[in-house]
Amino acid sequence: MDTLKEDLKKHIIEELNLEDLQVSDIDDDALLFSTEGIGLDSIDALELIVLMEKYYGIQVTNPDEGKVAFLSINTMADYIEKRKA
Amino acid sequence: MYITAASTISHQPTFKNAGFSKSIEPLQNNSELIIPNFKEYIDAGLLRRMSKILRMSVTAAKDCLKQAAIDQPGAIIVGTGLGCLQDTEKFLNNFLTIEGLLPPTSFIQSTHNTIAGQISLSIGNHGYNMTHTQNTLSFEYALIDAGLLLGEGNDNIIVGAADEYIELLSIIGEHLHVKSEVNLTSGASFFLVSKEQSVKSLARIKDIETVGLVEDIEESIENFLTNNTLQKSEIDMVLYSDFYDIKDSGQVADFIQRFDVSSEVLNYTNLIGVYPSNSAFAIHYAVDRIQDNNKIKTVLIINRLNKINLGLTLIESLEA
Amino acid sequence: MAVRITGIGIISAIGLNVAENLFSLENGKSGIGRIQYLDQEGAYLVGEVKCSNEELINRLHVKSRPVSRTSLLGLAAAREAWGGNKLSAKLRTGIISATSVGGMDQTEHFYRNYLGHTNPDFQVLKCHDSGNTTERIAAELGISGYINTLSTACSSGANAIMLGARLIEQGKLDRVLVGGTDALTQFTLNGFRSLMIYDDQWCRPFDESRSGLNLGEGAAFLLLENDKSVELSGNETLACLSGWANAADAYHQTASSPDGRGATLAIQNAIEVSGLSALDISYINAHGTGTKNNDLSESVALLNVFGDNYPDFSSTKPFTGHTLAAAGAIEAVFSVLAIQNNFIFPNLNYSQAILETGLVPSTEFQTDQPVTSVLSNSFGFGGNNSSLVFTVNIS
Repeated sequence: MDTLKEDLKKHIIEELNLEDLQVSDIDDDALLFSTEGIGLDSIDALELIVLMEKYYGIQVTNPDEGKVAFLSINTMADYIEKRKA
Repeated sequence: MYITAASTISHQPTFKNAGFSKSIEPLQNNSELIIPNFKEYIDAGLLRRMSKILRMSVTAAKDCLKQAAIDQPGAIIVGTGLGCLQDTEKFLNNFLTIEGLLPPTSFIQSTHNTIAGQISLSIGNHGYNMTHTQNTLSFEYALIDAGLLLGEGNDNIIVGAADEYIELLSIIGEHLHVKSEVNLTSGASFFLVSKEQSVKSLARIKDIETVGLVEDIEESIENFLTNNTLQKSEIDMVLYSDFYDIKDSGQVADFIQRFDVSSEVLNYTNLIGVYPSNSAFAIHYAVDRIQDNNKIKTVLIINRLNKINLGLTLIESLEA
Repeated sequence: MAVRITGIGIISAIGLNVAENLFSLENGKSGIGRIQYLDQEGAYLVGEVKCSNEELINRLHVKSRPVSRTSLLGLAAAREAWGGNKLSAKLRTGIISATSVGGMDQTEHFYRNYLGHTNPDFQVLKCHDSGNTTERIAAELGISGYINTLSTACSSGANAIMLGARLIEQGKLDRVLVGGTDALTQFTLNGFRSLMIYDDQWCRPFDESRSGLNLGEGAAFLLLENDKSVELSGNETLACLSGWANAADAYHQTASSPDGRGATLAIQNAIEVSGLSALDISYINAHGTGTKNNDLSESVALLNVFGDNYPDFSSTKPFTGHTLAAAGAIEAVFSVLAIQNNFIFPNLNYSQAILETGLVPSTEFQTDQPVTSVLSNSFGFGGNNSSLVFTVNIS
């Protein structure tokens, strides 16, 4: 699970061009879409959907489903585990 | 129309460097874009997605607002010949090579109006927002639009031009046998223009004319001068560009030779390199020279970077 | 001084000229169907102009190549709008077109071959840049001087019309051909897919179940003239362009604000410029793309300006598809047709109002009430919002 979270952070930093961030800067429970957290927006949400397919083979067909799954690194990792199970 | 602020990011040390016109030399062939610290001007959240043309444009526009000490311009108008090439090529690549879902960012940022849109977004501006794209005359058309807006009661308008170089342009040039002696470059020049003269005014734009599908350049220039009740001898400096397809070139140069010898004549493309909207740099160059030398009162800019288009701009010093 | 509209021309999925478009509108005939011409796999619903490039080249007698589909469509519409008008040294004449893709229809073929090293034709790139699409149209019509192109995504066409009106108002031009053109491309189709707002079913503007747009293609042009020009040309005034405005939403790169701020500003300012009040508007040709976001934001803006007594409104995009930079121009021609004939066009594919706003569009083709003024909305990426007001000719 920890490796999954680390990988996820790496992919997010790369795909979303979060140039100033390191893996260690992203807390597992930081809110990705909050300005208090990472401050992502709806374009990033679409990029995350692409990322889920590209690296984990998971199709998020309903963007609303993404909203819940992409709250934090923790929820994303849970979502990936669940979909893969 | 008065120029209240001017800012250029280019292959020359033009940015935040008033008086640059004294020191710059013709562009070397191995020149590169001189990149300022974009982070000083753009929020990290917006910056991370921005291509070169967006970074240059938002930074230059914000620099103008800072110089003029204005929070909100009345409008934002941009001219660009080829638009956001970096993102356009990236999305072409993506949809032609990726089998699955496509990342949307490069598509979103491929549209020409991303430049003006990102400026409005980064300062929260709700005014008129326009993007002109007419080949080598894109900037002149943006400037004419700014003039219309000033006439309609709008004021303090951000107007600028930007184009970005991508490697594919050089490859295309070779295949189409359009070999330029001067490098293809990237550049962004932005201005804040105002209706009335103020303590911050740098120069005045007296007139702008565009002639698309031009037939007789000499006649067009003569008419332009006549309309502005100017004699050739009254022009202190001529800044011109000549199209880079060398086979037929020389027409502007011939005409320029017939200008009164007292005027200084300079090909600005040699200074800034080739990009479709590089006439915007010529205006900044003229403004910079005027600040430095009070003998220069009237500057004529002849934009003939492309052989079917002619752009004419008349700049005057505040004393003129 | 109102700006006179004395010529209209159009080519779209529902017809190759004004008469064919009007016929389709009257008969509720949509032009959206499966891909026939675009080189793109997949069962997408699109509003294609029912003509191949070769057919267009033959119809238009275009001699010089390469030429983009965007130019060909634009030329078809511009020629119809220009009609039998003659160039005259006494009239300063210009042309303003709008496009978002320019020659991308050619460039994307080039780029596929370039990537695959399969003999890419570099020559077609001569018609890539947006400005070139307009220069080609101008050259065919013999117009020189003021030749300009605007590119503000989906509001481009409306902005070209607005700029033409402003140039006439300030006495810079006597007459100007204004409009927009965009060909359907793989680039845009895949682009809207990547945004997850491409509907695999028929687009359903202002419907609760809406889930995206269908792309279309086409072009439309209008000839705008001032009084002096009309005196010389003797042209009949079809309708007047009385109001226009553009405002930035400054909310998000692609999405419209939930409070419809930019859209509200554009509508209010356009009505103000026209000298009318909101109560005078007989019909609204909405932007109504069928995306969740646009239609909600536009509905909020309509409620902001008109309150619950909003006039008849509809989106005609279920007929034509969303034609991007051409949309504002195509819908301007529809607005003129509405005024000329006292028509209100139906919003196809509608069944249930959007829950949050409850706005109900017109779903029937109406001919029983006078249409004296029409508001046409065009909203684009980057929060670029424009509105135009067309009025019946009273002088």
